[in-house]
This record gives sequence, C-alpha cells and structure tokens, in this order.
Amino acid sequence: MGLLIIADREFSSRLFVGTGKFASNEVMKKAIEASGTQMVTVALRRVDINNENDNMLAAIDRTKYQLLPNTSGARNADEAVRLSRLARAASGIAWVKLEVTPDPYYLLPDGEETLKAAEILVKDGFVVLPYINADPILAKKLQDVGCATVMPLASPIGSNQGMKTKASIEIIIEQATVPVVVDAGLGAPSHAAEAMEMGADAVLVNTAIAAADDPAQMALAFKLATEAGRIAYETGLAPQSQAASASSPLTGFLR
Amino acid sequence: MSAVLKINGTEKTFDDGLPSNVSELLTTLEIDAATVVAEIDGRIIERKDFEKTALNQAQSIELIRFVGGG
Repeated sequence: MGLLIIADREFSSRLFVGTGKFASNEVMKKAIEASGTQMVTVALRRVDINNENDNMLAAIDRTKYQLLPNTSGARNADEAVRLSRLARAASGIAWVKLEVTPDPYYLLPDGEETLKAAEILVKDGFVVLPYINADPILAKKLQDVGCATVMPLASPIGSNQGMKTKASIEIIIEQATVPVVVDAGLGAPSHAAEAMEMGADAVLVNTAIAAADDPAQMALAFKLATEAGRIAYETGLAPQSQAASASSPLTGFLR
Repeated sequence: MSAVLKINGTEKTFDDGLPSNVSELLTTLEIDAATVVAEIDGRIIERKDFEKTALNQAQSIELIRFVGGG
C-alpha cells in the first residue's frame, strides 16, 4: 500500500478514528490501538467547573497518534475559526477538521460558511481538512483555497447508512488534487472497503466503532476492510460485464 | 473583598478576592492546567502565559478542554 500524504505528513494507515461516544477511555484506547490508525479526531468543550473533568487526552499516546481537533458545535464561519484557534492553542498543532453544522437534526455541513472559514484558516497557517456534503463544486473550491484534503460525507454523521452519496463522491475523487477522506455515515467495514475501492484516499470512522459491542474488534474489522479496499484499488478491479464469463473451462465436460 | 468573574457563561464570586492570574484561578477551581486552554474576553491565552496573565473584575473567561469527538 502506498503512503498517504497530507500536507507535510505521511500516514501508512488510511483509517482515521473519531474518539466520541466510547464507553470509557480504556475502551477507546484499545479500539484506537486495534484500528492501526495514526490520526484521531477530538472535540473542544467547556470545562465543567463544578465537577471533576475527565482527561481523555491522557489515554491517547501522542507520539503514535496525531490529534485532529474538530470544530464541532460551530454554527458559522466565525465560530469555527474561533474553535480552530483555541484548538491550536490547546494542542500545539495547527491541524483542524473544519466542520460547520448549523442544523442539529441532520448535522449537515454549511458549505458557504465552511468555505469562508477555510479561507481564513489557510491564511492563518492551518492545515485544513474540511467536512463537506458530497458536492464536487464545493470540493474544488476548497481545494483551490488551499485545503489539505476534502472530506465528503457518505451519509449523515452517526447514521451508519453507508455510501448514500456514492455517485457524487466518485466525481470528487476524479477531480481532486488533494486527498479525499470519506467521513461520516460509514456504518460497516464493507462501507469503508467500498469507499476505498472507489479510490478514496482514507476514511474516518467513529460511531460504527464506538457503538459496537466490542469496539476493539470492530476497529480491527475496519482496519482490514480499509486495507483490503485500498489494495484492491491500487491493484485495479477486474472489469464488469453484463453476460456471464465462466470461471471453469468450457471444454472436457463429462457428458 | 469579594470579586466576580464570568466563567464559562456563569458568574462566579470569589469571596477572598480575585485569583491573581490564570494559573491561580485554575488552582482555586481544582482544574489541571495541563489539560485546558483559556480565553479571556475573546483573547486566547496559551498555557505558557497562564502565570503572567492577570485577571480583572468582571472579565468573561472561557476554560476549554478536549473531549472525545468525531
């Protein structure tokens, strides 16, 4: 498998893992390890000043896993830029998964505000990985303003519905000059494999792993599926045809 | 003399006066400084500047940390 390069960093794993919804830090830690990932997403929230705060970062070995802070909760460009800058101050790295989701029901991203925020953040020195609807025109605009990847959604966040936007993601992959990371909605390892076989450069999975009965085993399943899909893509799938083509010889029948 | 800060959207009164800087505020609140970033009246304060950043009456302070997220 070829290496994935985003900005100035090389990744041998093409599976990024989200850290939300895990039952405990211990369960999360084991799942991250089993996934073989090299990049994990995290969110920023207010400290609870009246109760003890769980330090989830303690469970993430930052020498092995790069943090990718997200801007979840941002409803517009200004909020996303503010969150990005806070994340940079908190993490010491200027990478951000840019997401602007004003609608709390479907959590679909606002492309216009995402583009606005991306322009500001790229100028400010950030490596910007924007989460977007599977819109090829928007993907191209984000690429043109200097985003390091584009991250189209397969289906709504946490819905586990798989590659509902497949046709549009195919166009994005065909046109992209930056890595395409399929993010959100991948609910089964087969969905991840499907995205990778199409030529996606990586996938980002959270809910499907965190909400599984055994997150570490499911993380392993996603790792294998992501690798299988990538190897198949790099190898090239054999052509499809309408008619059957016998796999066994058509001569020497015992008739 | 008691003093007030707005912390994460809620007013908090300090009966013995304001903590003198961000580090002291975190100690008072029993929050591990290594895990948070602060914003005072919209200005981001990096961890290395916690000790030298003084606090003033009625400032609005956000204390933020990383949590699990996708």
